[in-house]
Amino acid sequence: MAVPRFPTIIIDAAKCTVPFACKKCLQACLQSVFSVHAVKVERGRETDPSEAGAYGLNAGHRDKCTGCNDCIEVCPEDAITITFPPVEATA
Amino acid sequence: MNWVDEAFGDPEYGEGRWYLNPKNHSRQMYKIKKTGQKAAAYGSDPEGTSGRMMGEIMQKRFTDPEKFREEVKEANEMTTKSPFQIGQVIPLQEAFRVAELAYPVASMSCICRIGARGQEERNEHEYSCTGLGVGMFKWERWPERYKGGVNFMSPDEAKEWLLKWNKKGMVHIIMTFGGSYVGGICNCDYPDCGMIRNRVDYGVETGCLKSPWVAAVDYDACSGCGVCVQRCQFGAIKFEVTTEKTNIDQFKCFGCGLCETACPTGAIELLDRESLPGLAEVW
Repeated sequence: MAVPRFPTIIIDAAKCTVPFACKKCLQACLQSVFSVHAVKVERGRETDPSEAGAYGLNAGHRDKCTGCNDCIEVCPEDAITITFPPVEATA
Repeated sequence: MNWVDEAFGDPEYGEGRWYLNPKNHSRQMYKIKKTGQKAAAYGSDPEGTSGRMMGEIMQKRFTDPEKFREEVKEANEMTTKSPFQIGQVIPLQEAFRVAELAYPVASMSCICRIGARGQEERNEHEYSCTGLGVGMFKWERWPERYKGGVNFMSPDEAKEWLLKWNKKGMVHIIMTFGGSYVGGICNCDYPDCGMIRNRVDYGVETGCLKSPWVAAVDYDACSGCGVCVQRCQFGAIKFEVTTEKTNIDQFKCFGCGLCETACPTGAIELLDRESLPGLAEVW
């Protein structure tokens, strides 16, 4: 049986600071691997998408990543790294 | 009958369907008081709790895929004690019935679309989700959850609104927020919708049960135009080249009725799932 190969997707939070305002990878990904969520939630007000660090990005569906690297191409901050395990390791 | 109807339906209302049972829309469900205790919000953060549990289980598909499959199977079998929110696909006509039953009905932004695509919905022209019940009056307490606010609608406005999303091609899913308390009619598509994705991609059934209906094609009436093929969010419809007709896999069909509402020749009909012995237990 074919064994799926899950990549490791590292998002550098120091570079990716405003993912909700940017959303380039979220909208470019053919497999919708990424998701964005509010990290900072304050009572009585909406979180500001332009505030650095207020939203976080993760690659929750990395099991659906094909390794096309479209997200890396659209990322203006070079914040995404995708590494697939070597073929032997999945056999 | 599915387990949700068995547990939360009432034969006196809405053919025994749980989401047409007024009790599941009542204020009492939103806050349940226990004797001697202060009123606590029932399942005070059901979305959050369910999300965290789901997150923990989902994480296992990377670390221990076998354990992951086991836990999903267990969660599916837990039914009424399931850690997951209950959700069920419903066709447009039943969404209309819910819009008449529930009060208030309000449009709001979709949390799944914010998460999956960063889609911001700032006003009533952009909102794509429907909130139901008394909880909606308190939206201002959670401005980040109800980003952009909410827009209260009359039953007729709500129907028009649901029809708009149906025409665009969204699946209606009736969602609960704590136990069987009906909290919303989501307008969903794959892959943005967390519930559809969890079921289609990972086999988590509770949040996206199939509707009590199933689509059937009348081959004599089908012109083979293919309009229905692009409407299906569940991959149940193909164009059968041999016969030049639509082919619906009724075992994959979720009974949302999107194909039925779009068919220009009226060739697709929704049948009662339980009238078909092979599908009666397929939820």
